[in-house]
Amino acid sequence: MKEFTFRTVIIIGAFALGFYLLYPTFADLQNTKKISQELVKISDLIKQKNPAISENDLQKKLTAARDSLMKTDPSIISNREKRIKLGLDLQGGMYLVMEINSAKLIEKLAKQPDDLFYKLLKEAQEETKTSEENIVSALAKKIRANGKRMSVYFDFGDITASDSEIESKLVQQETDAVTRAVEIISKRVNQYGVSEPNIQKQGSRRIVLELPGISNMEEARNLVQKGAVLEFKLFVKPQLAFNMMNKIDKLLAGTDSVLVGQDTLKSKEEKFARQHPFYNLARYSQNQNYADTWVKAENKTKLQDYFSRPEIKKIIDEAGAAFVFDAKPETNKEGSFYALYVLNSTSELTGEVITNAISRVDPSDNKPVVNMEMNDEGANEWARITGQNVGERCSIVLDGVVYSAPVIQEKIPGGQSRITATSTEEAKLLEIVLKAGALPAPVETIEERTVGPSLGQDSVDQGANSALLGFILVSIFMIVYYKNGGIVAFSGLFFTILISLGVLAAFHGVLTLPGIAGVVLSMGMAVDSNVLIYERIREELETGKTLRAAIDSGFSMSFSAIFDSNVTTMITGVILYQFGTGPIQGFALTLMIGIIASLFSALVFSRLIFDYFVSKGQMIKLG
Amino acid sequence: MRIFHDLNVDFMGKRNMFYAISSALILIGLINIFVRGFAFGIDFKGGLEVALQFDKPVNITQIRNEASNIGLGEVEVKTFGSDRSILIRSEIQEVPNNLFSQIQSNVEKTIDASQPGLSRKIIDKSSSSITYSFDSTKALDKIIQDLNTADFQAMKTLDDSSKTNLNVRISVSDWIQSNLKEKIKDNNFKVLREERVGPKVGQELKKNALFAVGLSLLVILVYLGFRFKFSFAISAVAALFHDIFITLGIFSTLYGVIPGLNLEISLTVIGAFLTLTGYSMNDTVVVYDRVREYMKIYKTMPLKDVMNKAINRTMNRTIITGFATLLSVIILFLFGGEVLRSFAFALFIGIITGTYSSIFVASVFVLEYANRSKKKIEF
Repeated sequence: MKEFTFRTVIIIGAFALGFYLLYPTFADLQNTKKISQELVKISDLIKQKNPAISENDLQKKLTAARDSLMKTDPSIISNREKRIKLGLDLQGGMYLVMEINSAKLIEKLAKQPDDLFYKLLKEAQEETKTSEENIVSALAKKIRANGKRMSVYFDFGDITASDSEIESKLVQQETDAVTRAVEIISKRVNQYGVSEPNIQKQGSRRIVLELPGISNMEEARNLVQKGAVLEFKLFVKPQLAFNMMNKIDKLLAGTDSVLVGQDTLKSKEEKFARQHPFYNLARYSQNQNYADTWVKAENKTKLQDYFSRPEIKKIIDEAGAAFVFDAKPETNKEGSFYALYVLNSTSELTGEVITNAISRVDPSDNKPVVNMEMNDEGANEWARITGQNVGERCSIVLDGVVYSAPVIQEKIPGGQSRITATSTEEAKLLEIVLKAGALPAPVETIEERTVGPSLGQDSVDQGANSALLGFILVSIFMIVYYKNGGIVAFSGLFFTILISLGVLAAFHGVLTLPGIAGVVLSMGMAVDSNVLIYERIREELETGKTLRAAIDSGFSMSFSAIFDSNVTTMITGVILYQFGTGPIQGFALTLMIGIIASLFSALVFSRLIFDYFVSKGQMIKLG
Repeated sequence: MRIFHDLNVDFMGKRNMFYAISSALILIGLINIFVRGFAFGIDFKGGLEVALQFDKPVNITQIRNEASNIGLGEVEVKTFGSDRSILIRSEIQEVPNNLFSQIQSNVEKTIDASQPGLSRKIIDKSSSSITYSFDSTKALDKIIQDLNTADFQAMKTLDDSSKTNLNVRISVSDWIQSNLKEKIKDNNFKVLREERVGPKVGQELKKNALFAVGLSLLVILVYLGFRFKFSFAISAVAALFHDIFITLGIFSTLYGVIPGLNLEISLTVIGAFLTLTGYSMNDTVVVYDRVREYMKIYKTMPLKDVMNKAINRTMNRTIITGFATLLSVIILFLFGGEVLRSFAFALFIGIITGTYSSIFVASVFVLEYANRSKKKIEF
């Protein structure tokens, strides 16, 4: 008996692991169903109360309601994070590939462009539309062909720079612009509240953006296509800011206790939540020199919803203020918090005046700093602003979020400012942000795939149904053909699918429609290992061997065929995964996992069952 | 149950017959490929594709007529799955100049009707949108609402602090949709899916796909050369080319012949080709494995007999696995939905040719090679 213990433990462990890994997916399906039922009720309620509500506002309210429903039980969120993620083709959403519009960027970078320059740029743009060549090198060639040097049009601080030096500087600018665009777009997407977005740089000039479950395609397009605005804003005096927040807190306490009441908090906290709905969400620190508050990441949308209410908007407008969040959260053991600042609603200066920004480590004190340069017009304004506000903070706001709020140490007359950062990463980020003001990153969409939610649901249903049907039919066939052995093959098949999906969930793999096809196909191929073994056992039996000997040699003789054939399929899987895009990658992923799972199921799982029955003296019929 | 018992067919002796069958199939395919070519999907060709689902069954001829009269040149219209869904395709991705000004004037008419006398100026204009700036912020919401009602995509821009800018999208897809909405009033539709692939991207995807197929062939060649003998590896890859050519030929031959079956070469179909590469190899390797085994046991038996014996002995497995896999592929084909249909079809053809070639082609090539080289292959 002992010879089986180890293998049995492994197999039971694998089964348990499979179920454990798939449980969140199952739970999430149930939760989603419950939440959407709840949301239908809420939406009816809102419509009843306010029949004239616009579709947009209703959606916003529902999003906030969904967020608070998700929070009622922490397991909902943890299950959601651990579930098998569906690809864009299954849950609907948007896939975008964007490319930096180099022509626009070059045009911006050029000094004193003349008619010839514009003509050459246009030609270069046309030529590179369908070719592999970079527009920079195409333009450089044209400028040279016209007997001019690159330095006539471009000046990167060194007028003696050679053509190739300028060329590489321009390419560098392109890369920087892409980095900037990624930063800006990811911030916007996060603010907009897309769940599980995926933003990636592809090569040096492209950005790939995946926005699952987006309902308003137009807003999504706007998110990515518009340029960003950089502003310098001063803070509202702490006393005034607290006055305003107190007013908001009072107003909310009078009107809004229903939403807060849903949270099941302990009585003391609940009381505070009821009396101070605003401060309950936006916690102030002990340091009363600043009127900064801290907001838990998941409460951001709720607060923004408050700010958009007309009566609260009025209070904010009267104070001439604006609530602005910090760009990055700070995490402690309670969760991640965003700083919420009270800034002047008007900006002191906008980013167009910035001519350059460079991050580096200051050799004198080894601190990471960013040096910012402004043009003459900006420098004059900047001198005035800094002169009047020494000791105050000035925030750097890009696209409505604060990236830095340095204290003004002294009047800065020449437009050359130095901002101290806490880390080199922060300094690098700040450089990107400041450059976004000087040089917008014009991007254009070169590939766009949008799948509506209804088509996604259809695909899920069709995929799931055909997978189930395939499983049933293949199992029936195996049982009819191999009798008992077929049942072993059927359990092996079940095991294969369980492990495949479990592994997919564990590695945060994405299930796409071709991915489901991969599962269906790997079912067909998973039985192949069983077939190879069974046919071999039959052959061995025919030569007059005992059942036990036939099983032994059946497994060992078929091993090389099983191994070699699975390796070749694996090779194509790996290559598909490496060079495929989106959905195809999903297919390759499930195929690869399926191959490994089916190998395990045939060589370990089926073997154990055979050995076990033979040792008990029972027969396994192979048809 | 057992399909074949002690099968003993002289497959190798009949190889001239298989040569004839295979050559005929490949020839038919090649002729069609050269004469008719392939229908590439927008993945490789670039272009715009919109799938719409109507509330009621649609008259496809009517939509075809409407779509060809909206200034976009040739617009392809076909049904997509059911009689309520249609697929519209255009190779144009940006609104042509003459149409742009027409759409622009429509936009401006709508704005004038919404807020007569409000002054505006155009601050930015690209091939896909116009940005207006207005004097006052108040009317903006009303204008947006009216523009949206008139099927334009309008919105406030994010990047202005004065909040007076309005961005209107000018796109081929919007133009098609607003025209259809206007002409077909009694049947509403929603957008199921919208895809746009730039010409440059299309070329790159094509290149990547060819590269992936080529690379996987090469890696398999090396692996089989290492596990078996070079002659086996090269024959297996030749058999694979045989499968791919026949499947491609069938795709070209049957394109447009079977109604409801869209046999365009898309990214997904390339994925299917790669899969059948794996499958066909899988099959071939199983036969090779048996040949290798018998060559070690029956050292004096002629190669031809060894191969016959190996193929006969593995025939049961070949048929059963082929059948089980075909079963799941047929189900995908029938119930997997529109998107997976061409994928499943490629696999269906591929599995049949893959099974055929692993029995009749791959080993035959090894035999021919051995006969010609006169050198005895030994493991």
